[in-house]
Amino acid sequence: MLAKRIQPLASQAKRLYVELMFQVMGRALQAVSEVDSEVQKEAKVLPVGFLFEMMVMPDGARLIVEHIGEGRFHYHGNSAPRPIDVSIQFKHLTHAFLVLSFQEKTSVAFAHDRMLVDGDVSYAVRMTRVLNRLESFILPKIIAKRAVKEYPENLHLPEKLISAAQIYLKVATHFVQTARA
Amino acid sequence: MTNTYYEFFCPVKVIAGKAALEHIPYELNGLAAKRPMIVTDKGVRAAGLLEPVIAACEESGLDIVSIYDDVPPDSSTTVVRDIAAIYRKEKCDSIIAIGGGSAIDTGKAVNILVSEGGDDIAKYTGAGVLKRALKPFFVVPTTAGTGSEVTSIAVITDEKKGVKLPFTSSYLLPNAAIIDPRMTLTLPPHITAATAMDAMTHAIESFTCMAKNPLSDAYATAAIKKVSQSLLQVMDNPKDSDGRLELAQASTMAGIAFSNSMVGLVHSLGHATGAICHLPHGLCMSLYLPYVLEYNLETIREPLGELLLYLEGPEVYAATPGSRRAETSISALRKLRDALYKRCQLPRTLKETGKVTEDQLDQIADMAMDDGSIMFNPKEVTLSDARAVLQRAWA
Repeated sequence: MLAKRIQPLASQAKRLYVELMFQVMGRALQAVSEVDSEVQKEAKVLPVGFLFEMMVMPDGARLIVEHIGEGRFHYHGNSAPRPIDVSIQFKHLTHAFLVLSFQEKTSVAFAHDRMLVDGDVSYAVRMTRVLNRLESFILPKIIAKRAVKEYPENLHLPEKLISAAQIYLKVATHFVQTARA
Repeated sequence: MTNTYYEFFCPVKVIAGKAALEHIPYELNGLAAKRPMIVTDKGVRAAGLLEPVIAACEESGLDIVSIYDDVPPDSSTTVVRDIAAIYRKEKCDSIIAIGGGSAIDTGKAVNILVSEGGDDIAKYTGAGVLKRALKPFFVVPTTAGTGSEVTSIAVITDEKKGVKLPFTSSYLLPNAAIIDPRMTLTLPPHITAATAMDAMTHAIESFTCMAKNPLSDAYATAAIKKVSQSLLQVMDNPKDSDGRLELAQASTMAGIAFSNSMVGLVHSLGHATGAICHLPHGLCMSLYLPYVLEYNLETIREPLGELLLYLEGPEVYAATPGSRRAETSISALRKLRDALYKRCQLPRTLKETGKVTEDQLDQIADMAMDDGSIMFNPKEVTLSDARAVLQRAWA
């Protein structure tokens, strides 16, 4: 009986958590593309105007970023100005929650068929590397190791701390700007 | 409870063994198909491989209504459109694809057009576009390696745009795969070797990569055992129909395994090398396999060690200490490649192919990094890692 009453609350909490994480990740993708040359190198190959989406099927939370050139991303929130080029779609809210709460690595989620790729797979592979790089920066090493296939050996503490501080500052600023707007 | 999860799907009826072709009329009849069209290539026709299929159908009073025998090695959207037009003109109601990967992929793509309508196959590219079952579709493989008869993917080149269009849907799977040893008896030695090593690579990568699962593992290990036991036997005696059947079954089993658990870096490098240097896929697989296993070694030590049982048999497995089994598995594969080189000069290094230059390695590495299969490699591959593997495979 109690479990039945708690279930909708737990589901709502998962939904809110996933929505919040998408908002943070979207802004962080924009921020990391402004501070990290490795991410810029990966993103430069994408066409200018390329729209990338992560979403929960069938019509749940989503984040959309656009490559605006020179390896820089722009976060569009949850609505796209044009049709999406590549979409990574979680089959269910629970699957998104598993990944975004770092209980399942992104690569493992792909292997477990938790997510689908709609669009050019080579761009999806590239965006996954960008997401891994982002997670390695912004998460404490112990958590990042649960999120990415392999924590990059060449990412040392000073670089990580400086980059993470820059990214979090930009994310916070973006949140404030959005709230003011 | 762990996060273990997997999906496994293979609804293809496998019809394998002596006189398997003679089951085609019965199977077609079971699907109410009376006007089949054969899709194949000139090589298959020239090798006389259509005769037993046609004879098997005619003996049961079933006429093959149309035969298209001009599928090119890299099938295109134009070819698919042309075949669909013939299918409609002749009022066919089913397709029998006979051949290797290209003929089979073409058959799958033609089936989309004739079932869904229209002339533009590009409209159906991507995953999950198809929502219903297609026309009756049978596959008769004439090589033992690709496993295309049990995979839900087809790749067709769009000539105008110069890109390869992938089509993915479980509806692309044929109703039946007919594995008859007569169809591979005349395969030349170097193709027998390369395609069998393709099957071996499918099985080994499916057993060692990230999406491995218990059902795929069972198919993969059985396939590895069959290739290990039969390949050299067939190389020495090409008319050994039992050995040929073993290789053909291994190919299908490896196909079932990898289509449910994906492949890794060997395929990423192989796809890139095929695209840039135009080397046959099976050759690339054979060439890169040991180098990639060495690269992945510390991540896959346990499953790779287990494979020694299927590669070398119980005596060698039992005599090898657990800590050395993974390395011994790689040695067994190197030994097999050396034996194939001795018999048909199947290249073991990029240099031995004579078709790759050292300055192409960076380009291959770059392209491999964007290949979808790299996601399923158990070790995270960086660009410098890919370059290092290629350098080792160079000479």
